Amino acid sequence: MDIMTTAPAIRIERAEKRYGGAAGFVAVSDVSLTVAPGSIHGLLGPNGAGKTTTLKMLLGLVRPSGGTFEILGEAAGPGVRARVGFLPEQPYFSPLLTAAEVLMLHGRLSGMIPSEVSSRTGELLARVGLEGREKTRLEKYSRGMLQRVGIAQALIASPDVVVFDEPASGLDPMGQRDVRNLMIALAGEGTTVLLSSHQLSEVEAICDEVTILNRGRVVAEGSIDDLLNVAGRTSVRARGTAPALPADVQSLMEDVAVSGGVWVFSVPDSAVRAVIDILDDNGWAIESVVPKRQSLEDYFGRMLEEPVHSTGAQVMSR
Amino acid sequence: MNRVAAVARAVVFDAIRRRIVWVVVLFSLVLAAVIPMLPSYGVGVVGAVYREIALAMTYVAAMVVTLVLSVARIPVEVERRTLYSVLARDVRRWEYVLGTWLGITLTLAAVTAVFGGIIFAVGWAVYSTPMWTLWQGVLSIWMEAGIIAALCVAISTITLPVVVAVAALAFLFIAHVRADLLGGPENPLWYAYPSLDAFNIIAPVSHGVGVSLLYLATMTLVFVAWAGALLLLGALGFSRRDL
Repeated sequence: MDIMTTAPAIRIERAEKRYGGAAGFVAVSDVSLTVAPGSIHGLLGPNGAGKTTTLKMLLGLVRPSGGTFEILGEAAGPGVRARVGFLPEQPYFSPLLTAAEVLMLHGRLSGMIPSEVSSRTGELLARVGLEGREKTRLEKYSRGMLQRVGIAQALIASPDVVVFDEPASGLDPMGQRDVRNLMIALAGEGTTVLLSSHQLSEVEAICDEVTILNRGRVVAEGSIDDLLNVAGRTSVRARGTAPALPADVQSLMEDVAVSGGVWVFSVPDSAVRAVIDILDDNGWAIESVVPKRQSLEDYFGRMLEEPVHSTGAQVMSR
Repeated sequence: MNRVAAVARAVVFDAIRRRIVWVVVLFSLVLAAVIPMLPSYGVGVVGAVYREIALAMTYVAAMVVTLVLSVARIPVEVERRTLYSVLARDVRRWEYVLGTWLGITLTLAAVTAVFGGIIFAVGWAVYSTPMWTLWQGVLSIWMEAGIIAALCVAISTITLPVVVAVAALAFLFIAHVRADLLGGPENPLWYAYPSLDAFNIIAPVSHGVGVSLLYLATMTLVFVAWAGALLLLGALGFSRRDL
C-alpha cells in the first residue's frame, strides 16, 4: 500500500486522441487528470465530450495519439490493470452464461484462482443485490440486474481502482441509491473511484473532485466546493410570520425564494453579520447561514455555454 | 496461459449452450440413421459408400457449426461491448484472440466427436463391423474446421460478420481446387497455393485402409502451421484496433 500513499491513483497527462491522421477528427485534446487515492472523482461532460474515449485510452481499449497514462504509479499497461475494475456503460454479457461464470471469467483474468473467485462470488452478488442468483443464466436478467452483474465483475478482484462509466444507467431510483452508497463505501475502504456520469445530482452528492470535459477538452476541474461555492456571497435561510423581510435586508438580498414562511436568499459576505442582527431583532428565526452554492446543473450548463479555447487552457472560474 | 484458458472456458460454456449447435447434431443423427437405407448399394461396397456419405455429412455439419460459432463471435462482442470489461483487465489482445479460437475449437472437438460417435455406432450396428478408420476422417474434419475457425476469428477482428462468412466460404472453395487450377506439383505455384487438400482423406478412409500415422502427424503439423499463422495475423490486426 506504500504506493497508494505516494502516487496518484490515476494520472493522465496531455491525453490526445485523433481519428484519421493529423488532419482528422480530434476526439480528445490535451486532457490531464489526477485522481487522489481513496477519492471519488467525477468525470462530467455532454455526449461526445470525450469522457468515454479518455477512459478507454486509460484502460487500453483505444490507442492514444499522445499523452501519458498512469495507474497506481505505473504506466497503464496490462500488468497494473489487474488492480483495476471497470464497468463499461451499459455492460452486456453473453446471455447464455450465468452470473457465477461471468465472475469466474473476470476473476481469473485478474489473476485469481478459481476457489478464490467461488468464495467471493456469493458475497459480491449479495452486495450488489443479486443474492442467490449465481446459477441463473443472464438471459433471464433484467437490464438493471445486468448492470448489477457489471458492477460485481468490476469488483471481483477487490481492485484498488474502479472506473465506473454511467453506473446508474438502467437502474431504478432504489438501485441508483444502492450504487451511490456502494461507491461511498468503496471510497471508505480505500478504493479509488473514477466516475463518469450524466447524473449531476449523483456526482454532486458523492464526488470529492470533478473534471468537466467539453468537445474533448478540460473546461473545469477542482473540488465540488471550490467549483460550486459562489465567491463573496452567503446563503441565509430564515423563518418568520411577517409577509416580507425587513426593508434593510431587502436592499441587500438576491436570489430570493419563499415557501411556507421560509425565506432563502443570498447576501454579500460583508453584510452577513448585519443581516443576522436585523432579522434577529425583528423576531425572525435563522435556520441556516452557509456559503452560497450554485447547483452543479447550473454550473455545468454555464460551462458548456462558454467557448472552448483553442489553447485547451483549463478554466477554473466559477 | 491461465487467461487464455479462462477466455476459452467462457467461450465453450457459451457455445455449447447454443441451440443451433445441437439442432445440427440432431439433424446429422437422423441423416446418419437413414444412410444405410439408401438404394443402389453394390455388393461389397456398402460399407465404403456408408463411410463416404457419413464423412461428407460430418464435414458439412462441422463447417456449418464452425461458421455459426466463429463468424460473429468477436464482432458481436465488440458491438455489445462485452469485451470491454475483459480487455480492460490484465489481458493482452492476442490472449483474447487465442482463447476465443481455442474455445471454439474445443467446442468443435466435442461436436465432431459426437458426430463421429453417431456415424461409428450406426455403421457398427448396421454393418456389424467397427469402422475404426472413420475416426481418422473425423480428426481431419475437426482440424480443417479449426483452421476455418482461425480464419474467421482472424478476419472478424477487423471486419463485419458478413464479410467474414463470405471470406470463409471463398477460402473453403479455393483451398480445395488446387489440383483443378494448377494441375500438379510441376506447376511452380503448387506449393505456394493455400490448399487444405492435406485434410481431405475421405477417399483413403472410405475406400482403403485409412492413412498412416506419419500422415496424421504431418496433417497435425499443417494444422498447427495454418492455425498459428492465421491467429498471428488476427492478433496483429486486433492489437491495432480501437474499440
